[in-house]
Amino acid sequence: MAAGLMRLPVFRKQETVSESNEKHLVVPGDVITSDTGFMRGHGTYMDEEKLTASVAGEVERVNKLICVRPLKTRFYGEVGDVVVGRITEVQQKRWKVETNSRLDSVLLLSSVNLPGGELRRRCAEDELAMRDYLQEGDLINAEVQSVFSDGALSLHTRSLKYGKLGQGVLVQVSPSLVKRQKTHFHNLPCGASIILGNNGYIWLYPTPGQQDEEAGGFHTSMEPVSLPDREVISRLRNCILALATHKVMLYDTSVLYCYESSRPHEIKDLLKPEVMEEVVMITRQRLVEQAG
Amino acid sequence: MRETPLSNCERQFLLKAIEEKKRLDGRQTYDYRNIKITFGTDYGCCVVDVGKTRVLAQVSCELVAPKDNRPTEGIMFINLELSPMASPAFESGRQSELHVTLNRLLERCLRNSKCLDTESLCVVSGEKVWKIRIDVHVLNHDGNIMDAASIAAITALCHFRRPDVGIQGEEVTIYTPEERDLIPLSIYHMPVSVSFSFFQQGTFLLVDPCEREERVMDGLLVIAMNKHREICSIQSSGGIMLLKEQVLRCSKIASVKVCEITELINKALENDRKVRKEGGKFGFAESMAKERITALKSEIAPVEMIDIEEKAEDIICRTGAPCDTVPSPVVRAPGTGQVGEGLQNAWGLDEMEEEEEEEEDDIEQGGPEKQPESETITSKKGDVVVISDSEEEEVVILHQGVEVKDFREEMSSGQKQATSASKKKKKKRKLAH
Repeated sequence: MAAGLMRLPVFRKQETVSESNEKHLVVPGDVITSDTGFMRGHGTYMDEEKLTASVAGEVERVNKLICVRPLKTRFYGEVGDVVVGRITEVQQKRWKVETNSRLDSVLLLSSVNLPGGELRRRCAEDELAMRDYLQEGDLINAEVQSVFSDGALSLHTRSLKYGKLGQGVLVQVSPSLVKRQKTHFHNLPCGASIILGNNGYIWLYPTPGQQDEEAGGFHTSMEPVSLPDREVISRLRNCILALATHKVMLYDTSVLYCYESSRPHEIKDLLKPEVMEEVVMITRQRLVEQAG
Repeated sequence: MRETPLSNCERQFLLKAIEEKKRLDGRQTYDYRNIKITFGTDYGCCVVDVGKTRVLAQVSCELVAPKDNRPTEGIMFINLELSPMASPAFESGRQSELHVTLNRLLERCLRNSKCLDTESLCVVSGEKVWKIRIDVHVLNHDGNIMDAASIAAITALCHFRRPDVGIQGEEVTIYTPEERDLIPLSIYHMPVSVSFSFFQQGTFLLVDPCEREERVMDGLLVIAMNKHREICSIQSSGGIMLLKEQVLRCSKIASVKVCEITELINKALENDRKVRKEGGKFGFAESMAKERITALKSEIAPVEMIDIEEKAEDIICRTGAPCDTVPSPVVRAPGTGQVGEGLQNAWGLDEMEEEEEEEEDDIEQGGPEKQPESETITSKKGDVVVISDSEEEEVVILHQGVEVKDFREEMSSGQKQATSASKKKKKKRKLAH
């Protein structure tokens, strides 16, 4: 008699046909090998002469080194990665940035472009005025300059494309889903721009009108964003969530295909599990066609 | 590990919503979340759920030498642990500020209120007394750990049974549970703490803050009270200026809440006692519903009904009248009879209907705008439709020489391909009057 759709509270995923390439997947406690000739790398430990995995992921072997790369992990930064982070603390001569890694990353005052674009020594006044540039809670995008010995990242925003982020939407996914590419800044043809941070933080924002060279990237426009732009960004956000749920690698092509295949659905319908699955299936097909 | 910082938009959203007297989960300002109390198989083990915040309390006892300055009193030791299971922000080992605050609050609530009769715990004065140890572990942190911990602690104390002791001259015998029944502790009263969170510089308060509300609150007031309206402890933190009337108002609210919570605790204790006496099954495993379709169900979400009357009247004005009915029975073919013309289902449009209308460009004839959703319609021009209430059965009327389209509709959730396929296959012939 009921006219509505009855949905199970826990979405039961049906068995899908997996790809034929054999990946050596392990869970914590799985014995990888009993051969003692291997060196153990990250994600493994020795348990009574047997090499056992300590994280859930894929086994990688490089000559004699065996390590396990986890599927769901915190962000391991490398030099040159583009990250999107949030300022958590303002300290003396540096900011602490939260980037979904094990330790908070560090953004030194000497690594930012001062507004005005001058290249000068940082003086005491600059230190006192740090809070005017970046406050707690601000979002920035930066590049990893170096990695400290304890694993913390040192960031820099010494380019005009980096800096404080203005109006937009942040989507948080697992860092292992963002594909490493040549460039992580894309102006999508659907009418929005995207920054795919390597740390899993993806920033969607309306494409800026004219490319005015704002020095330092600290000025953010507070003009109201138009409704069509907002709709495009909302749709993109739901697409990215759909791709992330189905563990599809995120890069500009996959996001674009997903956007196009989601067109027939309403934006809010994209949050339903069955619609998500349908859209991702079409995206996967297109990606396979494009690759093959 | 540090907690992920709350974004500015989220903080502003929460504060704005609270200004408009709206809470994230739809509660009213003085509403508690659902409190659930379950007991384990051992005496003195209890788990309390306040919404999603989950706290486990365990009471144990042992015989020790008493303190020198109090030779005739037993010892009560309270310990609260913030386990990393509760929140990624909690680290094991290091005592954080929150840890110390909660421990102190719980101690004041239980120890200073003298809810437990420590004199009765004395066995041999100056030599042997019972040491009652209460361990509270936080299993999940979703706000308001203090209230959950206090409820768990006092419930566990009331639930606990200690071994019986017999003294004959100089000899002290501790009887095992098989020899003599365990005896409960002597509890004078049940102190329960109630937390109030303050916003907008102390002008607006919320009872039982959830985790998000705790993050954006200005200050916190915790009042521990028993059902006899005696205040056991009161603490204000966060540095907000509270007016006298506010504190008095909070204490009044707290007394009401404490009465309700005490009743709940007593009921839970009573139920457990009954089950154990009758020899039924008890413990944590029994309190979890397994193998039932409602095991994972979520609660009904509250719906805002503010403008519902105006909207309803709008809809009524806009729609047309339902179609006329033919009261006389009609015989269509030998063996079949029909009373009344097929009525249009006036339950309302569904999304599927809208999409179907887009697909087909049929012209509607007068009639109501609303269309039947889950009917099996077999029709031909001039024929009349039979409506079946059941969604799963197909109702077919066989007329001589009439082409019949029948289809089955299954509205189960797993049939993704079926819904899209059925949309394409379904062709509906509209009633043509």
